[in-house]
Amino acid sequence: MNALLSTKGLIGLSLVILVGLTALLSPFFIPEALSTKIDVTARLMPPSPEHLFGTDQLGRELFYRVLLGSSTSLMIAFTAVAISILLGLPLGILSGYFSGWIDHVLMRVVDTLLSFPAILLALVISAVLGPSVRNTILAIGIAFAPYLARIVRGEVLKVCSLPYMEAIRSQGASNLRIILHHVLPNIMPPVIVQTTISIAFAILAEAALSFLGLGTQPPTPSWGLMIQASRDYLDVAPWTALVPGIAVAVTVLGLNMLGDVLRDVLDPTIIFEK
Amino acid sequence: MRYFLNRLALLLLTLLLISIVTFVITNILPGDVAIMILGTRSSPEKLAALQNSLGLNDPLFVQYGNWVWGILRGDFGISLRFKEPIADLMGQKILASGMVVLLSLMIAIILAIPLGIISAVRQNRWQDTVSSGVALVGISLPDFFWGIVLILLVSRTLGWLPSSGYVSPADDFWLAIKHSLLPAMALGFSLMAQLARMTRSAMLEVISQDFIRVCRAKGLGEGNVILRHALRNAIAPVVTVAGLQLGYLFGSIIVVETLFNYTGMGWLTYQALLNRDIPLIQATIFVIATVFMFSNLAVDMIYTALDPRISYD
Repeated sequence: MNALLSTKGLIGLSLVILVGLTALLSPFFIPEALSTKIDVTARLMPPSPEHLFGTDQLGRELFYRVLLGSSTSLMIAFTAVAISILLGLPLGILSGYFSGWIDHVLMRVVDTLLSFPAILLALVISAVLGPSVRNTILAIGIAFAPYLARIVRGEVLKVCSLPYMEAIRSQGASNLRIILHHVLPNIMPPVIVQTTISIAFAILAEAALSFLGLGTQPPTPSWGLMIQASRDYLDVAPWTALVPGIAVAVTVLGLNMLGDVLRDVLDPTIIFEK
Repeated sequence: MRYFLNRLALLLLTLLLISIVTFVITNILPGDVAIMILGTRSSPEKLAALQNSLGLNDPLFVQYGNWVWGILRGDFGISLRFKEPIADLMGQKILASGMVVLLSLMIAIILAIPLGIISAVRQNRWQDTVSSGVALVGISLPDFFWGIVLILLVSRTLGWLPSSGYVSPADDFWLAIKHSLLPAMALGFSLMAQLARMTRSAMLEVISQDFIRVCRAKGLGEGNVILRHALRNAIAPVVTVAGLQLGYLFGSIIVVETLFNYTGMGWLTYQALLNRDIPLIQATIFVIATVFMFSNLAVDMIYTALDPRISYD
């Protein structure tokens, strides 16, 4: 627990809580009309007390768009990672627990999918399904699943080689019981760490997909889309790129810091030094 | 030797599977190649004739067979968007991307290893806080955002490097390097961060071992201990991570090359996806996956060369 209370842990935790609360609450407090309100008289205004984060090429307030963008971004990232767990966890357990030909077949498939860079896979899936919020989630979720399956399999193999597994088996516990009550709880720590890091990666992936026009579609506020739109105005209005970019960076930084600290907390082999 | 023969067999199997996955994914893509070539207003007879000549009416496995047979002869078909043989198109692009990837690898390694070493040697002091902080920011910034910051800083404000376009090294070597430098820096930054983190933790693990104490006890200078003894033992896991990160790099080139209008494989892949140029999509993702697979093999070979304790036989 000490590690969570270290400077890094505290910063990470507060950043994640801050962004998480923003994402949860801003849709309730900021009407969508505010973020999509076009004001041609206030195009590309620099940050000022009047326009806190400045305005974009259509005169929309970047402040509202960045805040609402956090919900889009986090919602997509969380759901996508949930899907990758839903796919990867059972596959990894199946592969690691039953070994033999199931393992061989599954791992060949997983390895093949791992030969495609995750972003490439997500881009292709998104192009196949047609870009939309739902399909972005599916694309990232599917693209991340093989990584999770690989990690889970490794952990399951580790747990299954421990003596207590033999003890449980000799007591006649069923496979299902062993998996649910003995394997699953014991592989949770690395899965939790991986989940935190995956959410960070999913946010980056969503931003990249939207940046390329194969993710979230306008007018939904999305950080990647905002950066994409800023490209034509870099010279006159650099803040249109910097504001959403910093939003992505802060969110991912918080998650990565938390992930680092969680790894120290959950891995008993690492002795934490304060 | 036997290990590498086994590895080769596995490689061929994976190649086969990669080609199947590529073919299956791209065949789910909606859109008819014949309609794309002739346009939606062409006569049904013409369409049917073209569909027949392209083999679109053959069973899928026949189409797959033809596609693989083409690849084996170096024929990837014709791009719908560029109306050129894909193999010719990809030749120059692979060179362009290769230059960026190599440059970014160089930038990443040159920066990451000293950074990681400083972090480990000065653990928990300010040098460590700064280096670890830089590395943490590095893995948290989207590379295209880092690219935009570079454009704003290096290109627009300082005017040192061009922010867009590709020049062939055959035409003008230095200009080519100048054009690939910013994309390479954008790509290399996150890789540098990953490697620095890995170097740090690997070095920390090695430094705490007994043989390092022996080295110090026998009076070796600290620089000697760290660089000749500790680093040599810590470098193998760093190489592994570098290899794994190559996959990330090959994915990122799509975003970064598009940002910099750098016409390499990543840019080509994006054009293919954007235009639903199915033959080109198939070719580019197959090539990227294949290159990634071979670079993994290369990493494994470097790994054994760096750490003689590891033997696969």
